[in-house]
Amino acid sequence: MQLHLIENPGKRYVIHIPDGFLNVATVATTCVVSAGGVGNAVRLANKKLREKHVPMMGVLAAFIFAAQMLNFPIAGGTSGHLIGAALAAILLGPWAAVLIMSCVLIAQCLIFQDGGLLALGANIFNMGIVASFSGYYLYRLATSFLGSSRRGKLIGGFVSAWGSVLLASIVCAIELTVSGASPIMVVLPAMAGIHALIGIGEGLITAAVISLVLATRADLLELQKI
Amino acid sequence: MKHSFIDRYSDQDSLIHRLDPRTKFITTLAFILMVTITPVIEWQVFALYLFLIATLILLSKVPILYILQRSLVILPFVALIAISIPFFKEGEVAGSYNIWLWEVSVTYSGLQAFTNILAKAWLSILSLTLLVSTTKMTNLLNGLERLHMPRVMVMILSFMYRYIFVLIDEVMRMKQARDSRNFGGKRLWQIRTIGNMIGTLFIRSYERGERVYAAMLSRGFNGQTRTLDRLNFRPADIYFGISFGLFLILASMINLLY
Repeated sequence: MQLHLIENPGKRYVIHIPDGFLNVATVATTCVVSAGGVGNAVRLANKKLREKHVPMMGVLAAFIFAAQMLNFPIAGGTSGHLIGAALAAILLGPWAAVLIMSCVLIAQCLIFQDGGLLALGANIFNMGIVASFSGYYLYRLATSFLGSSRRGKLIGGFVSAWGSVLLASIVCAIELTVSGASPIMVVLPAMAGIHALIGIGEGLITAAVISLVLATRADLLELQKI
Repeated sequence: MKHSFIDRYSDQDSLIHRLDPRTKFITTLAFILMVTITPVIEWQVFALYLFLIATLILLSKVPILYILQRSLVILPFVALIAISIPFFKEGEVAGSYNIWLWEVSVTYSGLQAFTNILAKAWLSILSLTLLVSTTKMTNLLNGLERLHMPRVMVMILSFMYRYIFVLIDEVMRMKQARDSRNFGGKRLWQIRTIGNMIGTLFIRSYERGERVYAAMLSRGFNGQTRTLDRLNFRPADIYFGISFGLFLILASMINLLY
């Protein structure tokens, strides 16, 4: 039943690049950039967070991982699931989100072979760094325009999650093009089109999560951000 | 608990299972790297790599069907690349078809790019699947820590690995509760329900994290983790590593021998 959904790879429509699709130059570049980004996230986490936050981040990484198992319907019988980078960035700040998403992506690579080992650099860059930072700053931008009322936060959550998914998919398309795997005029519309749709689901769910957290434990939206 | 799909077959015993996780990780990484840098035209090299990985799969006693099924995870990407074959315009035309109003022509260079990616992706996913179905996650993480992965990340990953099981059970319970209340209705309503489930999951996870930390602190946690497993390189690891590396290098040079 549901377990079948989890095991069925065809159901996972998220942009985890497998090994073999990127050429050496792209692999090397993304690995270096991601290693730098993750390194900085680790440094900031060590500096700003005490050891208290390590179990916390572990449990929250497991939360993102488990939340990704809930498929939601998109058009035409396909389904998508949460990436969660924007949600993590809104709750904990962009660098914490980079750290959490990197761990989630490593676990997905090692547990589901979802995304390749050498391609981890690219995947961490797309869904960790690009998605977390775009999500965080889109949320900040939206709430500064709309005010930090409940409505502003919900719309901000939607916009930031939608934008982060779209941007991550565009960067992914560019990486595939640069590697010579697919011409830009094919892969960019395909990727961006699918993820503009998936992003709506991601946005609505992120807004619903923020709404629930606001109603039950609003203090969790005011945690220390890194 | 419903998590039989996580690192399945890794607790069995075979020649490959007994190797040190560091050996397996480094050789897998080297294998994928060599596959990635192999030039487009060298199909003999790919055949040799396939022979190598097939031998290792047989030695590991992991069911072949399982590994093949797992390797299907690359399919969505293969489809994405497949639709772009007709858009490679340079080179000799291999075949031209009239599909309704379009004239679609497939060039040799387009086909070559596709088969090249398919071969590389498939070989890589086979080796990655072999690595994770022959290595326990805790040992793999322990090995990664010895290979100087940042401590914070190793710790987050090991907490994550422990709590994934608990949280998946939590998700399954919530799903069961939802489905038994006749989940359905409009798409927006469904998405709202899933949002509430994820929100609840977040609050429960956060509170669980606080409780876990308090429990650890009261048992004397000071930021260090200790394990009983001692990792050791044994002679088998050295022989395996050397022969694997030699095979990779010789295979990549096979075309020079002709």
